Amino acid sequence: MNLRLFDRYSGTRKKHERWVRTVCQECSLRCGLIAYLKNGGIVDIHGDDDHPVSRGRLCARGLAFVQGIVSPERITCPAFRKSLQEPFTAMEDWEKALDWYAERLRKIKDQHGAESIFIGCDPEADLDFAIGATRFAVLLGTPHVYHPFDFPQIPSQFPWPPYPASPCYEWGHSKCLFLIEADLAATHPVAFGWVLEAQQHGAKIIAADTRFTRTLSKADLPLRIRPNSGNVLGLALMKIVLENPGPHDDIAQARFNNPEKWRASFDQLSWEDMKNALGLTPESLKELQDLLRGNLPTTIVTGRNLAAFEGYGVWPTLVSAKGWGGTKGGGWYPLESTTPPLNPCRGIADRSTEKVPQGKETQAPGILKELRERVKKGEVRARAILCAGDCLGDFLSFFQGLEKRPDLMATFGSFPNITQELSHLVFPAAIWAEKSGLCFSNDRAIHWAEKILEPRPGCRSGLDFWLGLAKRFGWAEAFPWIKEDGSADHRSFYQWVVEGSPVLKGFQLDRLKDQNQAPDPGFWSLRVTMEGDGKIEPTPAPKTVGSPAPALDREHFPLYFQKIPFVSRSGTIGRYWPWTQNLEEEDAVQINPETARALHIENGDAILISSPVGTMEGRAWISRMVPPWMVASPKNSEEDWVLVHKKDQTGDEALTLLKEFLP
Amino acid sequence: MNPVNTKSEGEHYLWVDTSRCIGCFSCEVACKMEHELPAGPRPIMVIQIGPVEHEGEMILTYQPATCLHCNSPACVEACPTGAMQKRADGLVFSEAEICIGCQRCAIACPFGIPQLNPGTGKISKCDGCADRVEKGLSPACVLSCPTEALSFMTPTKKAQRIREQFSQRILQSGAGR
Repeated sequence: MNLRLFDRYSGTRKKHERWVRTVCQECSLRCGLIAYLKNGGIVDIHGDDDHPVSRGRLCARGLAFVQGIVSPERITCPAFRKSLQEPFTAMEDWEKALDWYAERLRKIKDQHGAESIFIGCDPEADLDFAIGATRFAVLLGTPHVYHPFDFPQIPSQFPWPPYPASPCYEWGHSKCLFLIEADLAATHPVAFGWVLEAQQHGAKIIAADTRFTRTLSKADLPLRIRPNSGNVLGLALMKIVLENPGPHDDIAQARFNNPEKWRASFDQLSWEDMKNALGLTPESLKELQDLLRGNLPTTIVTGRNLAAFEGYGVWPTLVSAKGWGGTKGGGWYPLESTTPPLNPCRGIADRSTEKVPQGKETQAPGILKELRERVKKGEVRARAILCAGDCLGDFLSFFQGLEKRPDLMATFGSFPNITQELSHLVFPAAIWAEKSGLCFSNDRAIHWAEKILEPRPGCRSGLDFWLGLAKRFGWAEAFPWIKEDGSADHRSFYQWVVEGSPVLKGFQLDRLKDQNQAPDPGFWSLRVTMEGDGKIEPTPAPKTVGSPAPALDREHFPLYFQKIPFVSRSGTIGRYWPWTQNLEEEDAVQINPETARALHIENGDAILISSPVGTMEGRAWISRMVPPWMVASPKNSEEDWVLVHKKDQTGDEALTLLKEFLP
Repeated sequence: MNPVNTKSEGEHYLWVDTSRCIGCFSCEVACKMEHELPAGPRPIMVIQIGPVEHEGEMILTYQPATCLHCNSPACVEACPTGAMQKRADGLVFSEAEICIGCQRCAIACPFGIPQLNPGTGKISKCDGCADRVEKGLSPACVLSCPTEALSFMTPTKKAQRIREQFSQRILQSGAGR
């Protein structure tokens, strides 16, 4: 047959009975996808050409998730055991498992107090689990809820930018894209397609990071900065604007409250301190400033980790001062701040207002480190822990290996993992593709994501879990989203979410749900919520800036450790997607060639990564992506400073070799 | 930029623009889904090169490597059963029903393209998504590529695209004013 002239033409050649249009929920970009089904299973997937952000593209994760759905290792029925030494016994049904769990949880609350009960939510569990967990914790009376979602109660608080960036499909209008500690090419490849398109249209790409990342490799100006110093770069730029304003910089137009006080805070910032913290030469800073001075509009893309460090508020302030906000291709694009402002405790918080968990605070590494210390010292003892996903294999790993183990450990998840290995009770969770619901994106888009297929028998949603547990505690009225058959009514739940958020008013679920039409996500903006005189509070500079917290014992742990994104999902869940797991080693540890040479480490060698809190195994990946004083891995380390050595080498031997090599 | 001939009619080519490849492996996974492959064989494989230092600059590139569908394919010559064949339109493919999994093609290929599928015991390699292309669909790897590092079009269209992009750059730089 004659082929038409086409750039790309989507569709499937595979026989199918029906197709579903939905959005991928593997990352915060929410690409549109079309799934083709036959006999209740997915036979093919491709990107949705009509989706304004993804334009028919999908990344590796957005395709490989299909393997997780059908994985023979999925947890598909509740199971329990009396002690961790015993094998799990499958339970007949969910209702009996919930009865068993509720009875024991109530006993622990009565004996040891509600504050001995901890709840962890990882992203696998989705928004419905996180909201349910927060409400349940308030009713129970425990402040210990740890989750990746933010629930800012006051819309004007950052990280909600008063001048949000336009969606990435408008980045073609940018004259400059400035990515700070945001390896978009690795974490959001489809969004990075827009970066390259902007570059093709003449935009300058500036990227700052500690490693030489995929993103830096495509930048016109790659800047290697010290770890976690991205916000200092923003502070330095703000100080430059204040001291030497360019022709487009007009602070007076920025509608700031108390601009004099804010200005004064920058006067006392030391250039020397900032240069030391950043590790940049004055020439690099000048080149950066020259690029930013002459280019309008500019989009600032900041990585997720920056939110945990001092000075984060400089980014919206800088965008306002430079006049980049409110224009196509200009503004601030903070990665992973997708959830709109909402109060998960609406309607119940009056029962225990002071104990409403604050998502942002609980996510700060400082809070988790403090909790870790208190747990290890025995000041805080968890008698019961409930985790969604693999929290104990990730950010709550300090609960592993405690001498005084929790009396009751339960997990709500889809796959075997470390948390499950340490649990007494397992509840099988539906995967995102098996449940319909609202989801939010980096671009401030709101989508109704239709489920692709029915949940595997025995698997339920997070909302179903909390409804069942709350009913057993007599709190059913706080979880009113229930159908006549007793299952969770996700539509009414998400209607409640929409009605409760000041920025989502006016969105119609029915319109969003019309999946057979071309996708028409709504885009919400905080600008509509600004009240009063419309002025914003600029974030003042901190009193000092410094290098990342030095190791307590740099003499023995001289290498900086960074967790890095990989193609597959991080954590153990990636093991159930062989297509992506096969592409990169989950235990790979990037080591600079010079460091490796000094330590006599060769590519692929089995190595140990030691820190003051323990040792983990890895496999050497020798690469110049990391500087000589740094190692990086998709694995998580509790400590920022480590020592690396071969398995057959002692730590002392490695230290001696490193001392000769590192300054 | 290397044109990889997947269509002897001189019409459509797979174009690989390494300057746009970011090593996301989307093409690899799309290929596995299209051809229902297990984790092992990688008919298209993205190879990371670098970073290396060159004249004070760091250079990191990604090279998607797949079958070149050679004019005189060594794999076809080496195949003892006739499973490995070159179609009239130029595509080189392995017919699973005839393949005995001896891997002589894998050894003969100067680029190491044919690989054994451990699930079937047969060779798997890029067939240019012939079944898709005959239906007027893009090859799976091209369709998923987030950055247009892979594209599938005629040389005429490609040349037109290059001219458009060049014009855009001139326009954006202001040199055209």
